[in-house]
Amino acid sequence: MDTPDELDEYLRGDSALSRQYRKESAPTPPHALDRRVLGLSRPREPDAHGTAQRLTPCLAPLAFAASVLLSVALVLAIVFGPQTGKRVDDTPRLVRVAAHADASTNPPLDRRLQLYSSDPKLARAPSAWLADIAALRRAGRDSEADAELRRFRSAYPGYSIGDLAIRP
Amino acid sequence: MLEAMESLDEDAKLMVRYRDGDADAFSTLYARHKGPLYRYLLRQVRNAGAAADLFQDVWSRLVATRSRYEARAKFATYLFHIAHNCTIDFFRRDLKMRRAARSDEAEHQAEPEVPEYQRPDGIAEFAEQQSALLAALGALPQEQREAFLLHEETGLTIEEIARVTDVGVETAKSRLRYAIRKLKKSLLPAEIPVRSYGRERLEQHAINGHARRIG
Repeated sequence: MDTPDELDEYLRGDSALSRQYRKESAPTPPHALDRRVLGLSRPREPDAHGTAQRLTPCLAPLAFAASVLLSVALVLAIVFGPQTGKRVDDTPRLVRVAAHADASTNPPLDRRLQLYSSDPKLARAPSAWLADIAALRRAGRDSEADAELRRFRSAYPGYSIGDLAIRP
Repeated sequence: MLEAMESLDEDAKLMVRYRDGDADAFSTLYARHKGPLYRYLLRQVRNAGAAADLFQDVWSRLVATRSRYEARAKFATYLFHIAHNCTIDFFRRDLKMRRAARSDEAEHQAEPEVPEYQRPDGIAEFAEQQSALLAALGALPQEQREAFLLHEETGLTIEEIARVTDVGVETAKSRLRYAIRKLKKSLLPAEIPVRSYGRERLEQHAINGHARRIG
């Protein structure tokens, strides 16, 4: 039969029951559990180094493929690109023609219609066209100059052509 | 008593420091309370896996609610109140699972109903059943076991046990009293030999004692 004294004795911590309990094994949480809980307590900070390490394995093949693709594209552009066999004069022909035609920097609508029209007569003034052909000659692009000259003659059959445009 | 108060204040201060962003304060708190908390949970649910899950759950809740912490009471009462709630949730979940499985068991003429955490595979994980005291502790009703463990593992008073377990002081006192009474029986010399020595040695022990008395 328990008495208040027994309970008091137990609560003071010097009872046989308490002593026996303290003799029992005292298991503690496994170390893995310790690490997990201590990890939970830390605020999650962005770890640039760790992130880079995690991303590296999946990004490495992608980076390699991108490098190869870029290299191949560069080689193809050099070998087969539109600028192959570069001439001395890189200026687009239409721009050159416009420049030689004494056009203003912002030509009016009818002038722009002339520049971009498919009709050779509307597209170029005779003097500008001839200057263009002469420029082709000076650049050594004789075949293009000949072709342009043929087009010019068909457009302006009676026009007097200077030496610079005709002479190779 | 003064030392106890200083310790109380220190744990509460550590928790306040942790609340305010000092992660190292948590490490100290954890080192102080991890053993008692783990044993409380292990001996309550009597399954190592479940105890580990609950242990992590308790600390997770403490971490998640740290911003609301106020040092109004002993830190241990705060921590073990969380543990008590987690344990109650565990027992409720276990009870639901058993009820859900009851119909299946009836169909298959199942064995008598045994809580999941007390089934042989679970008990096998709980390697503390050798001692008579721990066996008796495991046989106590959960509320009485809890009262005993709270006092033994944390040194909580009756009033603090009542606060942790959300009951009145008299109820907590009654639970602890019953627990002590039953556990003391497990320490009686007449019961120990039956478990650990075997009947033959017990008889020999009685014969020797009788001979001494005669002599």
